[in-house]
Amino acid sequence: MENQGYSPVECIDDNNLEKNNTPEVQLTETPKTKTKKSKWESESDNDSESEQRFSKKRRKKIQDSEVDEHSQPETTESIRRLKVSNEDPFNQSPSTRSISPIAEPINDMSISSTPSPTPESTTQSFEERIIKSTPTPLPPMLTGCRSVDNYEKLNRIEEGAYGVVFRARDKATGEVVALKKLKLDKEKNGFPITSLREVHTLLLAKHPNIVNVREIVVGETLTQIFIVMDFIEHDLKSLMEDMQVPFLQSEVKTIMLQLLSAVAMLHDNWIIHRDLKTSNLLLNNRGQIKVADFGLARKYGSPLGPMTELVVTLWYRAPELLLGTKKYSTAVDMWSVGCIFGELVNKEPLLPGRTEIDQLTKIFKLLGMPNEKIWPGFSKLPHAKNIPFIKQSHNTLRSRFPYLTENGFDLIAKLLTYDPSKRITAEEALKHPYFTESPLPKDPEMFPTWPSKGGGERRKSYTSPSAPNVAHGVEKLDEEDQTLLGSIFENQGGNDYGFRLKI
Amino acid sequence: MSKLSLQNAILTYEQLETTPSKKDNIPEELEDELRRLGCDFIQSAGIVLRLPQVAMATAQVLFQRFFYVASLKKFSVRDIGMGALFLASKVSESPCKIRDLINVYNYLIRRYRNEPNEPLEYLGQVFYEMKDALVIAEMQILKKLGFNVHVQLPYGLMVNYLKVLELTDHETIPQKAWGYLNDSLRTNVYVCYQPATIACAVIWLAARIAQVKLPTSPPWWELFEAELEDMENISRHIMRLYAIRLPSNLPLSLDELEDYLKNYEDRRKSGINEINEINDNKDDLGPAPMVTM
Repeated sequence: MENQGYSPVECIDDNNLEKNNTPEVQLTETPKTKTKKSKWESESDNDSESEQRFSKKRRKKIQDSEVDEHSQPETTESIRRLKVSNEDPFNQSPSTRSISPIAEPINDMSISSTPSPTPESTTQSFEERIIKSTPTPLPPMLTGCRSVDNYEKLNRIEEGAYGVVFRARDKATGEVVALKKLKLDKEKNGFPITSLREVHTLLLAKHPNIVNVREIVVGETLTQIFIVMDFIEHDLKSLMEDMQVPFLQSEVKTIMLQLLSAVAMLHDNWIIHRDLKTSNLLLNNRGQIKVADFGLARKYGSPLGPMTELVVTLWYRAPELLLGTKKYSTAVDMWSVGCIFGELVNKEPLLPGRTEIDQLTKIFKLLGMPNEKIWPGFSKLPHAKNIPFIKQSHNTLRSRFPYLTENGFDLIAKLLTYDPSKRITAEEALKHPYFTESPLPKDPEMFPTWPSKGGGERRKSYTSPSAPNVAHGVEKLDEEDQTLLGSIFENQGGNDYGFRLKI
Repeated sequence: MSKLSLQNAILTYEQLETTPSKKDNIPEELEDELRRLGCDFIQSAGIVLRLPQVAMATAQVLFQRFFYVASLKKFSVRDIGMGALFLASKVSESPCKIRDLINVYNYLIRRYRNEPNEPLEYLGQVFYEMKDALVIAEMQILKKLGFNVHVQLPYGLMVNYLKVLELTDHETIPQKAWGYLNDSLRTNVYVCYQPATIACAVIWLAARIAQVKLPTSPPWWELFEAELEDMENISRHIMRLYAIRLPSNLPLSLDELEDYLKNYEDRRKSGINEINEINDNKDDLGPAPMVTM
């Protein structure tokens, strides 16, 4: 590193002094151009040779004159600048002025311990350009993983594609948690990148509708890694299997709003979930949805890089993925959201394909055969030529949802749009009129409760006395009655139905 | 919608002062050198492997963090360096192959030792030993750091700050500041300061050396919530890198470290002599030539 015996501030002053001979002239000059970049830089780039020959005496004189100036009561910009330059630690230590060996500037810096100059009041123009940041929380401590022995295993909940989930109790607090054991035995490439993404996105994605990860604990050997998450009682898939009637419209709206809010936050943070489906949506007994299983989630960038198209469970996989695109984006999640929406309304999977071809066929039969007109670029997708052509020109989506309102149908149609660039975004979907029309979304606190399968609770019959359950014990209600039921506990803008019990 | 971030872990004064290696009676000076050496290797290996700078930067921060929770006597600079780079390459979505990484490390170690370059035997024992060590090191890093392996880096911040300060078109400052950022990874500033402060410090230092005056009323760094004292401190750490050269006989494995420590004082003296010789040798693996990115 070169010798840097002079502070830039000092050099400017010196240069100006040489030209103008008196510091006073500089006082009048600088303010005019103080915001311009050119004045921030020194006029002569590096004339250090001659400067270094400056005698100490001369410099002392300059410093003295500066002190004199800023002792005057004026508060012009230039004076402030001089003042600051005088406070500059480099100016204060005389040793900076000698031609010093490499290490010396460091020593100089250590000598200087002057407080930073006080902020000035007239800072508007400069400060305007910076967004005020919120006070930052305390940074985390550097601590290692705790042992899994801090938890007591209760029972196994489920075995996923790459991990087992246990229910466990925190020995210290007594809280029940879910422990997801990562499968690492057969890894040839070290710690799997998918698990890294999962941990990362879970840590990034702190949101009331995303499952909360508490910590990561390790077992006795290095291959035993557990993700500790809050225990959530249900997943939507097995819950719906046990329910006799679909969710009420008001409940569907609450679930969808929470789901969309979580998805919008993920997308806002450049994360694609890539495996949204009902079995990955957890529901607790307070009516809160928690998006789980980030095993396929990853960050994406702009411009889009190639990513594997082999993502998302088949039934929820977007047509562009089935057709082999490698450059896809958040729209794949929105397609899944559309499939989930349909499944919530009808209590059965919308597009249960057996194979990828079958999946495409089911999509085409439901939505009609896509073409270049409705989906520009469709025919250029890798598998577009290898797919069976279905003689289905029109969209039959409406007939699948006879009871959905116009707004509800509009939303699902926008979610299940062929062209990914025209598909509705999570942010837009949150503002969809479907959520503001009657019946309004149900307050999560008013959600019915069910016995938890994962918690090992036995499912009781639907004629149990608890009030909210009754709604699900009734035979299928028509649309109007569902409206009423959904509204019993809600204040629907003066449209008060009073308390009605429907058994 | 709130922007999320995973803040960097900042060490307590106690963690900083009493490192696990210190407790294991490793001289402070040696620990400093070994940290720098490990980071040198990571940066060089990343360049050879054509990894993005984000991967090298992350790896070096992980490496530095790791040795604040583990001792150099238990984990070698070589293994943790490889493990950190491998892990960081995955974290930064640019995974490299284990085989490539091991071959590059083998090459770099031989170069550092001034040994003739000799590729590892394909499927040989040394290769498998290194591979096992790498995989174990990766797991140890994850475990010991509590999976806090996602590092906030100051590169993006610095570019934004340069824009605000209208310095992006300056001839030397952006490049210099970028270089200081790369070099600062070899110091402990990433476990002491948040990225914003580090970004300000390198701009401050680069502007100072380019002799460019930045607004001081109010001081520009206050707008980025940096303190002058912190910036000076960071600059000191960076400048110290250029003042001290690493000896070429530093231990890379645990066995080598044990030998090295046995007659540490004697080696120190011979090491110093060696430095003086090496200073004339432009091909040595010192810090300066390795920053070219």
